[in-house]
Amino acid sequence: MAVRVEQRQVAPLGAEATRIVRHLDFALLAAVAGLIAYGLWVLSAVSRNDVPGDPDYFVFRQSVNIAIGVVVLAGVALLDPEVYRRIRVPLYAVSLVALAAIFVADPVRGTRRWIDIGFFRFQPSELGKVVLILVLAAFLADRARRIDDWSTTFTAVGLAAAPAVLVFLEPDFGTAMVYAAILVAVLFIAGARWLHLATLAAGTVVTLVSMLWLLPSAGIQVLRPYQVERLIGFWNPDSDPSGATYNISQSITAVGSGGLDGRGVAGATQTNMNYLPEHSTDFIFSSLAEQRGFLGAALLLLLYAIVVWRGVRTIAVAPSLFTATIAAGCVVAFVFQVFVNIGMTVGMAPITGIPLPFVSYGGSSMIATLAMIGLLQAVHVRGRLAAERR
Amino acid sequence: MSNVPGFLPPDPQVEGPYRVTPQTAIRIAVLGVLAIALFAALFFRLWALQVISGERYLQTAQNNQVRTFRVPAPRGAISDRNGVPLVSNRPGTLVQIWPAALEGMAPARRAAMIERLAKIVSVPVADVRKQLKLHRDDPLTPVTIREAVRDDKVRYLLEHQAQFPGVEISEVELRRYEHGTLAAQLLGYVSEISADQLGRLQDKGYSAGDRIGQVGIESAYDRYLRGVAGVGEVNVDAMGRVTSERQYSRFPEPGYSVRLTLDANLQTAAENALRYGVALAQDNGEWAADGGAIIAMNPNDGEVLALASAPTFDPSVYVGRVRPQALTRLAAPEANYPTLNRAVAGLYPPGSTFKPVTALAAVQEGFLSPSEVIQCTGSIKAGEDQQVFRNWDPNKNEPMTLTTALANSCDTYFYDVALRAYERPDSPIQKWARRMGFGQETGIDVGPEGEGLVPTPAWRKRHFESAWDQQWRPGDSIQLGIGQGDMLATPLQMTSLYALIANGGKLVQPRIVQQIEQPATEGDAAVVVRAFPGTKPEDIGLDQSAITTVQEGLYDATHAPYGTSTSVFSHFPVPIAGKTGTAEKFVTIGKWSGLRDQSWWCGWGPYADPELVVCAVIENGGHGGEAAAPAALKVFEQFFGVKPGSYVSGAVESD
Repeated sequence: MAVRVEQRQVAPLGAEATRIVRHLDFALLAAVAGLIAYGLWVLSAVSRNDVPGDPDYFVFRQSVNIAIGVVVLAGVALLDPEVYRRIRVPLYAVSLVALAAIFVADPVRGTRRWIDIGFFRFQPSELGKVVLILVLAAFLADRARRIDDWSTTFTAVGLAAAPAVLVFLEPDFGTAMVYAAILVAVLFIAGARWLHLATLAAGTVVTLVSMLWLLPSAGIQVLRPYQVERLIGFWNPDSDPSGATYNISQSITAVGSGGLDGRGVAGATQTNMNYLPEHSTDFIFSSLAEQRGFLGAALLLLLYAIVVWRGVRTIAVAPSLFTATIAAGCVVAFVFQVFVNIGMTVGMAPITGIPLPFVSYGGSSMIATLAMIGLLQAVHVRGRLAAERR
Repeated sequence: MSNVPGFLPPDPQVEGPYRVTPQTAIRIAVLGVLAIALFAALFFRLWALQVISGERYLQTAQNNQVRTFRVPAPRGAISDRNGVPLVSNRPGTLVQIWPAALEGMAPARRAAMIERLAKIVSVPVADVRKQLKLHRDDPLTPVTIREAVRDDKVRYLLEHQAQFPGVEISEVELRRYEHGTLAAQLLGYVSEISADQLGRLQDKGYSAGDRIGQVGIESAYDRYLRGVAGVGEVNVDAMGRVTSERQYSRFPEPGYSVRLTLDANLQTAAENALRYGVALAQDNGEWAADGGAIIAMNPNDGEVLALASAPTFDPSVYVGRVRPQALTRLAAPEANYPTLNRAVAGLYPPGSTFKPVTALAAVQEGFLSPSEVIQCTGSIKAGEDQQVFRNWDPNKNEPMTLTTALANSCDTYFYDVALRAYERPDSPIQKWARRMGFGQETGIDVGPEGEGLVPTPAWRKRHFESAWDQQWRPGDSIQLGIGQGDMLATPLQMTSLYALIANGGKLVQPRIVQQIEQPATEGDAAVVVRAFPGTKPEDIGLDQSAITTVQEGLYDATHAPYGTSTSVFSHFPVPIAGKTGTAEKFVTIGKWSGLRDQSWWCGWGPYADPELVVCAVIENGGHGGEAAAPAALKVFEQFFGVKPGSYVSGAVESD
């Protein structure tokens, strides 16, 4: 008897895990594994001279980040996403507190983005992305029947605005933009009215115009001078080749000089002679494009495209509006970051300092991105399980 | 939960099974199309940049590269107290290679170029390769191949620049030692910062390739002398050729100059005197005499006027291309360690020059009265084993007071005093020796200094292992009483002691740097950036009468018929007082080892109103009166402007 009782308690858990694993999206996993391996290879070629005497400095640390991220991915994939719906309030509160705690810490290179927790420097704005997706999805699922109400849209805007403003004040303009993209994505998939979306778009344009032009002419500076320069410089990169847009033109030169098959690691002068700033983090794509050429860059784009394809597919197979919205938030955040980062290096998007998912050096970004992949897997699994039951 | 603003209660209706509505399907499709559009945009942008315009950007990357450069600031000068330059700069030409530029070259071509370059600048190829290998982790800092390159070679390199990609030629300031070897150990030298130093000093503004003072004043005052390096950018083409004007983002700021308290003329005299003393000793048959130190100091404020150490070396071996053989020669034992600054770091038993310390301690502590008469004999027996301790003059047998005993340098007199000290529990001689600065660094602003050693019963216990050696015996006190045994002092500590006797009991802080100056430029006079006024001499609490007695004894030592250096100093027009010392030290010279006499003389003048204290030690130089005293006299001659030969002087054999 005792043996049977024990089996009854353990066996379903094991069976559950097996069923979950069987329904994972293996194409997505393969693409992510490919991206991680490719990213690490690129990082090792780019950063070998960055720390004198220790060519593997960044690669080693990034490997640790990946290991942590993979554990997070596994945990998130196994967990039923409905759990987040129940703990949405504490999740939101913790995220806001962490974002606010930044302002107590000492600034690093003029910005406050990190919190030191012993061995690890943790970036709350990366965690905040994931939390925002979950919290907005939970809220919109609750309001599914009243999705057409103005109050629903406005409350969602308010929920996103609180963390986004904190991130904007760090200052981290780029990540604040990711938050905005997430808001639009979840409203869009959750079924907000076109009129609401159009109103939001108009509001964004008005805000941008007033931040860049109206308020400064009235003597109120919302953006910092360098942010304005970068935004304007993006529209007109030749205006000041040695000043604010120096980075863009150096980056475009690096990308272009890579040609079809690249200049190799040793021949990549733009990278090796430090014309590319931050070539392990924000501008790592330029280095990749310089060293490996169009073929290497296109391979990376292909891997990203597979991830996005599987992600969009996951939105369609999601078992509920809540999970579909989560999937949409993850996919859009991912596409947005890839596009804005690569777009920045080739002069199609302003310089904002968004990391390139899976490739840029950085622990918080790597872990947050893997957590979002974990969410997509969880949604995919639950969708398949629901379909099986039907 | 339902009261939290922003979260209304969930819809009361139970949610039905979720189905993708046609409207949602459209929205998902829109999302997918948008993603495809963004990826397509990136793809075509990359195609345009890399495949269509790739050649053009490759050209740009190769032709219009910006290179940051760093121009070392002209290093500040070092001058003596009167502004006479001791170390200044001379223009030189620097040939450097940018390692990053080498990386893109075919290995065979690179090897050939390095070989040719090495030949042109006359540096062994192996050395160039070694330098490049040493810096291979840091391709963004140019590697110096050679510093002082001849003009014709520079012209050749400039004319054939296309054949030497990544080779840069620039102006550089090299150190010029205005007086050759003068004060070499004190001034120190400059060389490229080592990886170790860089690790420690990176956050203090030092960068790879910087030059840094390694020893002496150059090291101790490096932060004032170095200035601030200039930085800027310059465009270069793929061959490493400069294609634009240098754009400075910060111009180099020259370093401050350092004005020493040293007097160049007196320093020259002291170094000559040192050579003279060594020659005298060798004439006397002291074959092992080959070095020593002479210090001249103001006894009232501690300003060092001369700080000589022999043997010496030419610091210009460190300028330009440093030849390893030259450095090996300097480090060889046969050279007798010329880079060691014996004046501050040389450790010697002080011998009889230490007797004033014994005398002052005994009078101060009340176990000796200056008027007390003690019989000076040829030898005494002391300790349980009745060991015999001899006087330097075995035939003496006469009663002496303290002044006579100092003038005569009677050893047995001080043995008697030392035995009284042995009976006392608080080691009075050692106590006062420490107060007078022995057994610790004086704190002079140029190092490294030697601490010396004041042996105590506690030290014996710590330092030795066997019970026999750990015991402090009467013999130890006797040896200490005449500055022998384990007692060790630096010449600078002895100079401080005689300054203290001369100025009436005040311990001065010896110092060598007077002030830091912003050098005069066109239209602007020199500005004192920082002055070092020195600290007030510290009264260590000695009885005036005790000091006066010792002063009198030391005056008799140079003037009374029985004084140990009377023949040297008695006819000198300025009254000089001072003490000889002949200290036995166990030395090893090549294969020979045994006891050799270290020749000492320390004293001051004028006697009543002291202006200069001089301390001289000739290593293995024999009797104090025969080598050190005549050498010290030469320094007084220069200081007081007395012509040699205008008075009678002769060396004397004594203790």
